[in-house]
Amino acid sequence: MPVIETVLIYGVIPLAVFVILAVLTLLPGRGKDRTTYRPGQPWNREAVWYEPHPDVPGVPGHGDDHGGAHAVAGGHTGARALTAGVGATAAALALGEHPHTHEVDAPRRSAAGGARGTW
Amino acid sequence: MTKQTDAYVDGREDTRQSVVDEGENPSPFSYRDLARVDEALTMSSKETGLRFTLYIGDLGRDTRTTAEDLHQRSGGDVGNGVLVAISPGQRVVEIVTGTSAARRLPDRACALAVLSMTNRLGSGDLVGAIVHGFRQLSDSAGHPARRGH
Repeated sequence: MPVIETVLIYGVIPLAVFVILAVLTLLPGRGKDRTTYRPGQPWNREAVWYEPHPDVPGVPGHGDDHGGAHAVAGGHTGARALTAGVGATAAALALGEHPHTHEVDAPRRSAAGGARGTW
Repeated sequence: MTKQTDAYVDGREDTRQSVVDEGENPSPFSYRDLARVDEALTMSSKETGLRFTLYIGDLGRDTRTTAEDLHQRSGGDVGNGVLVAISPGQRVVEIVTGTSAARRLPDRACALAVLSMTNRLGSGDLVGAIVHGFRQLSDSAGHPARRGH
C-alpha cells in the first residue's frame, strides 16, 4: 500500500468525518431557536398564561354569557404578538389580567382537586 | 470581563446584544416550541372537552393557593377547567382541576401526569414536559362522547 493511500485512508477520511460532524454541531444559529431552560437557573421571563384557541371546533369555549365578545382584548393582542408568523394560535393572558372580570370575585372556590410536584 | 467593559465604554463594540439575547419574541418559547405547546393545549382541550390552560411563571410563596386563585379566574366554565401551572424558578408544577373536571381527572391521574412532567423538567426539557403532561392528562380524561353514562 503506497504511503499516499495509507494517509488518505487513515488520515484524511477520519479527519473529514470529524470536520463534517463538527460543522453540523457548531453550525452558527443552530442552537438559537430553542427554548432555554436549565434546572436551577432563575426564571426571569414574564409570566404567561396560555388558553386553548377558541376558534377551533370542539374546543370548549367560554361561558354562554360572554358570547363572542371577548373581554380578553389585551391578552389577544399579546397572543398575536407571540404567535405572529408561525400560525401558532395559543392565546396568552398577561399576569393579573382578568379575562372575564365579573367572575373574578366569585365567592365559590372553583378548584376541586389536582396534584403538585417538584423537581 | 474588564476587556468587554472597556470595549463597550470605548464605543467600538456593542456588547449588549450578546448579553441579552431576547429578540422580539417575548414568549419563553421559540416559535417551533410554541407551536407544539399550542397544539398540545388545543388538541387536548378538543379531545376531552375540558378546558386546559397553561400558566408559566412565578407562583408566589404559597404555590397551591396561587394556582387555585389562577384557576378561579381562568375564565369560561371554571368547573370544567384544568390549570397546569409551572414555575420553573421555584421548580414547582401544580395541576388544578375544577369541580366537574375532577370527576374525569382524579387526583391520581393528575399525580401521574405531574410525575412524568417532573421527570422531564428535571432534565431541562420544558416543552417536552408540557406536551407529554397534556397528552397524559387528556389520555386519562378520555373522550366525553365515548364515556358511557
